[in-house]
Amino acid sequence: MNLIKRIIALTALAALLVASAAQAQDKGKNYGADAWYMHFDLDWRVDGGLPTKALIVSLQGLANRAAPQFYVVHPPEYQWEITGPLFDFYKRKHGVNFTLLQTTDEVLAKFKSAAKGYVVWDKSVGASLNVAFTIAGLEDVVVVSEELIPLVEKHGLKQFDDLRGRYAGMTDAQIYQDAYDKYWDRCIKDRIMLMGGHAGAVRMPGMADWGVNQRMFFHDLSANPNRPDHAAELALNRRLLSEIEPGGYVFGWHSYGKDTEEQYTTLLSMYGLRMEGLHNLPNLSFNHQFEFTPGFKFTNNHSVPLDAKLTAEEKVYISFVQSDSIGIGVWTKPGRGKLPFGWQVTMNWTEFSPAALEYFHESATPNDYFIGGLSGPGYMYPNHIPAERFPILMERARKLMDLLDEHIMEIMDNSAADGNVGNTDLTKETVDAYYREFPNVIGFLNGYGPARTRDLRDSRPMISYDYYIDPRRPRSEVAADLNELIALNANRPYFLLVHVRESNDVNSLVEVTKQLEGPVEIVPVDKFLKLAASNKTYTTRYQDPEDPKHFEGFPKE
Amino acid sequence: MNGGLNLHPFMKTALKRILLGGLVALGLAAMASANPAIEGRWSLDTAASTALDGWHKIDLDIALDGSKVSVGYTMQWRTTIHEATNVFDTEALVETKDFFRVEQRHMAVYPAKNGVTKALAKWIDGGKTLLTEALTPVEVSQGDTVMRITSEYRVSELGDKLTIIELHSSRNLPLVYVFNKVTEEATK
Repeated sequence: MNLIKRIIALTALAALLVASAAQAQDKGKNYGADAWYMHFDLDWRVDGGLPTKALIVSLQGLANRAAPQFYVVHPPEYQWEITGPLFDFYKRKHGVNFTLLQTTDEVLAKFKSAAKGYVVWDKSVGASLNVAFTIAGLEDVVVVSEELIPLVEKHGLKQFDDLRGRYAGMTDAQIYQDAYDKYWDRCIKDRIMLMGGHAGAVRMPGMADWGVNQRMFFHDLSANPNRPDHAAELALNRRLLSEIEPGGYVFGWHSYGKDTEEQYTTLLSMYGLRMEGLHNLPNLSFNHQFEFTPGFKFTNNHSVPLDAKLTAEEKVYISFVQSDSIGIGVWTKPGRGKLPFGWQVTMNWTEFSPAALEYFHESATPNDYFIGGLSGPGYMYPNHIPAERFPILMERARKLMDLLDEHIMEIMDNSAADGNVGNTDLTKETVDAYYREFPNVIGFLNGYGPARTRDLRDSRPMISYDYYIDPRRPRSEVAADLNELIALNANRPYFLLVHVRESNDVNSLVEVTKQLEGPVEIVPVDKFLKLAASNKTYTTRYQDPEDPKHFEGFPKE
Repeated sequence: MNGGLNLHPFMKTALKRILLGGLVALGLAAMASANPAIEGRWSLDTAASTALDGWHKIDLDIALDGSKVSVGYTMQWRTTIHEATNVFDTEALVETKDFFRVEQRHMAVYPAKNGVTKALAKWIDGGKTLLTEALTPVEVSQGDTVMRITSEYRVSELGDKLTIIELHSSRNLPLVYVFNKVTEEATK
């Protein structure tokens, strides 16, 4: 009798487990996972909070190797402002059961088994932190500065390597050359971690978990050809980029202390690679292990069908677009939804942060419309992409745009620009290539700051930004600027495309629109392009070789 | 869309009026004397001025040479320095191919390629104030057009401040730039 009861009980238990597993499977990969989380503050000073954060994110990368177990929530003021909303999304849509870890001690107690030891970086040699992160990924160890050694040893971790003093007196080029010789062979080759960004007294390697998780080579080598003292760094940089697999990724961001965004992005584009940043983009080691929830399908808020034909009236048509990736934009700022807004989506997040994309789509208002970018499947400057690599990259972009239900491609090439001013134009060859590769889009947008590349072929316009809203510019001047553009472009219809810089407040833009003069209509960007296709009151123009260039680019090897 | 000079009717009228009036103005200007206090180096007081767009800093070097007034600009954006000089003549219409305008650089308004700017200047208010008027061709997304820029250069009674009030034919809100005189002591 007891045996029968026991069999029945076991059978029932087994059935329950199978049913539960099936239910979890129905709800998606990693549904109902147990995970832990920690709150970070905003202290990233080398002499303050950085060493502990470096330790934690290195351990996060290791802890998340087998399963999504550890997530970091940043304050809303952190550049990636959605870690909190995304945390709630994981609980709500993926059933993740999070438990709070309050101290580094608790984090080590929970996840020390994921690490085989520790490597010590040298706080007096900045590059040693990046070398330590590389070692961490390859050897499954955490990175510590010397004051944290007792803490990790308390948890039974043994020293694997010690970089203190090893690089004393060496240049960054020499340090990274040494790291290249020792570690590059064993690092993953379709991606690399450019751990630059903040340099000096504050550093912010918020993306290091991902690099450690994926066993990437970390560096912050310069791409500045105007600094003779950086020549060796640039040479090694180019060697590394040339050895990354075709179409590969450069994660992270350029060093604010060595070069410019324009220089670095130009350089990687020459190798047909794509940038995925920033250096402080957190939690990818966690995020990439989730898929879209079952049954979820991207449905964009199209205001016009792909094959619609519209006729523009004698009006001024204005459309607002926010690029910079929606995660660091104005998504969480007050007023979203009050104006039609186009949002540039970092399309590769389908692979690295599906939940983030789903979160944005789920929380979109009818006035929020998503567009593809930047320039392709990642951030790149198309004027510099080798011709033979361009079709391969854009095929990937087309597939991602199909998946994301996007009909517009946004292009940005700041290689000749000076920050957000200057020359942001596309050569005719580049424009030809986009028209060839994207036969089924509504059209193209170009620029970051204002630009003057414009075209119309069949029903697909290419329109550049006529205005860039600097978030610091007084709103009265923004209104005056827009009114001046309306006055100078006196023919009707006039198509005024406006780029809204990250961190602008939508409510303040609503006030600006009330001050506009003339027959103004604010329209969604898909409708804007359809209207622009109907009456070409804009010139056809490409980058003129005689236009001033702030940066001339790199010599080909 | 033609690529030629796309003048708004208002601009055509303004152009005629200014060029015709120029002759009269030049005659009157010859009678007015220059204000020597305008000469020297001036540094923009950004807090007191209309917000710059795409520039962080402006220094002016103004020099008088007979009827000629030379206005030199040293513009700074991040680490980029741009220098330019406009020369006006209170006795003659000046035509120049490289006229410099303090652009709002986040607007798609560019100097027109091969554009020639026509500029007039005169001393007004008893020689205290310099008035300049420039018709400068600009390129916008609909082609080339002309912007009229009228500027008054007013020097304070103590000679330590220069206020430039700039009015565009295309902009209802004037741009006001306040400069402080850079003294020799300050540069030491």
